[in-house]
Amino acid sequence: MPEPIVSIREAEIGFERGNPLLVDVDLEVHPGEIIGIIGRSGIGKSTLLRTIAGLLPPLSGHIDVPTGRGDVGYIPQRLGLVNHKNVGYNVMMGALPRAPFWQTLFSLPGFELRQSAREAIDAVGLSDKVLDSISQLSGGQQQRVAIARSMVQKPAILLADECLGELDSETAKEIIELIQNLAKEENIAIMVVDHNPVRVATFCDRVLHVKGTQIEEVVV
Amino acid sequence: MKILQHLKKRPSIVVYSIIILLAITISNKLGLTIENLDQAWGNAGVLWSEMFPPDFSVVTDRASWTQTECTWEADWACSAAIHGLSETIQIAFLATLFGMLLSLPLSMMAAHNLSPIWLSTITRNFLAGLRVLPSLVWALIFVIMFGPGPLAGVLAMTLYTIGYLGKLQYEALEGVSRHPLEAARAMGLPRWQIARYFALPEASNSILSQILFMFEYNIRHGSVIGLVGAGGIGWYLNNYLGVFSRYDRALALIIVIYVAVVIIDQISLSIRHRFMDSETHAPRARWREIIPFFNKREVQK
Repeated sequence: MPEPIVSIREAEIGFERGNPLLVDVDLEVHPGEIIGIIGRSGIGKSTLLRTIAGLLPPLSGHIDVPTGRGDVGYIPQRLGLVNHKNVGYNVMMGALPRAPFWQTLFSLPGFELRQSAREAIDAVGLSDKVLDSISQLSGGQQQRVAIARSMVQKPAILLADECLGELDSETAKEIIELIQNLAKEENIAIMVVDHNPVRVATFCDRVLHVKGTQIEEVVV
Repeated sequence: MKILQHLKKRPSIVVYSIIILLAITISNKLGLTIENLDQAWGNAGVLWSEMFPPDFSVVTDRASWTQTECTWEADWACSAAIHGLSETIQIAFLATLFGMLLSLPLSMMAAHNLSPIWLSTITRNFLAGLRVLPSLVWALIFVIMFGPGPLAGVLAMTLYTIGYLGKLQYEALEGVSRHPLEAARAMGLPRWQIARYFALPEASNSILSQILFMFEYNIRHGSVIGLVGAGGIGWYLNNYLGVFSRYDRALALIIVIYVAVVIIDQISLSIRHRFMDSETHAPRARWREIIPFFNKREVQK
């Protein structure tokens, strides 16, 4: 078993001390692994992802996450795309953490970064939409943009919060394929929050069920 | 008892009564009486008779006493109205440009969602300090420092623009969705990149609209700061109202300012409409070509 990319030990997760959403969280995530997180609304699934992403501090315990620039990829519930910009711009944003300072200062990414963005856009099937603004795209196409951004970023771990939420089954299937490719080809660890336990079981290596304040591993 | 019950059912009567009572008391305290108004009507009559008809020679005849040198051959181009107005527009343009360039980084520093609390507090207080004095008072200060002329006007309006535009911009930046900012933060990007590549594009339409509004505002105020010698059409207006006592020419200048403001207002409105979707009123992605990550040439390759 390779070294875990994320390691959480005896952590309490939530917003206020004394009233944690999750307690005794012990979790290890390995490269190339896809982990599904299920549970009812408001129970703390998104808070867990935001804590791993470094957006919230744990209330107690230890969380070891890679700290290099661009090592963590996060797709929030509403995807976190820049809606006023086009597809190309949003995908290029994934290259920002690794772009040299001068290129980011003058907004002039080098050929390699542009090429990697082009390949990612081709891979998610949006080659004809490069100059379309995000608001012109359907929900499924927006998901593809978010995934293409992560493909360019190449994080060690990708945290996707309900990225399959409102998609029809056909589109969800396509997005799942992209996620699986990302894990296999790039060896990226992926954590996906979803409401649908049956769907999660079909593509995740492990499924975690958040019940009350505890996380239980479900046998897939 | 019945009256009290009635008032309880309709509390608005009590509120309106209190407001009217307050207005009457304050008016008496400030000396806004009918007698004073009567006297004002008399003075207005005199002013009216001297103002009409407006003398539009201010638009056609060369003014030999322009504040800055006028080298145009055509007389109308060096008239008090056209020369003054063009100077006002130039002052407003420079003040808006410099104000925008300086307020943009300051507004990023002042936005709570982009900066640490200590930095945003210091920057907000600095911007508030610039807004404490209206542009007219800034103009007065700079006229004393640099002497009368457009330089004082540009400096005064630039400072006011930084304070005012900075506030509007940091409010627009704070209004952007937290999701793109969180995605960027998780990537480990520094604050300036989050501000520039995520927050600024999301707020770009509001910011553009505010810049156009500020340009209009500066043209209107450019007419006022001339009254204290800071250049522009206001300086000519001040002379016609004061030294020359030519109210008919002053009225002609006021009409010229009004027409100019209405035209600029319409132009600005139509530009702002180009950035908004007419059906949904949602901002359009029109700024996409400005940062050349992906342009059409690149796609066609």
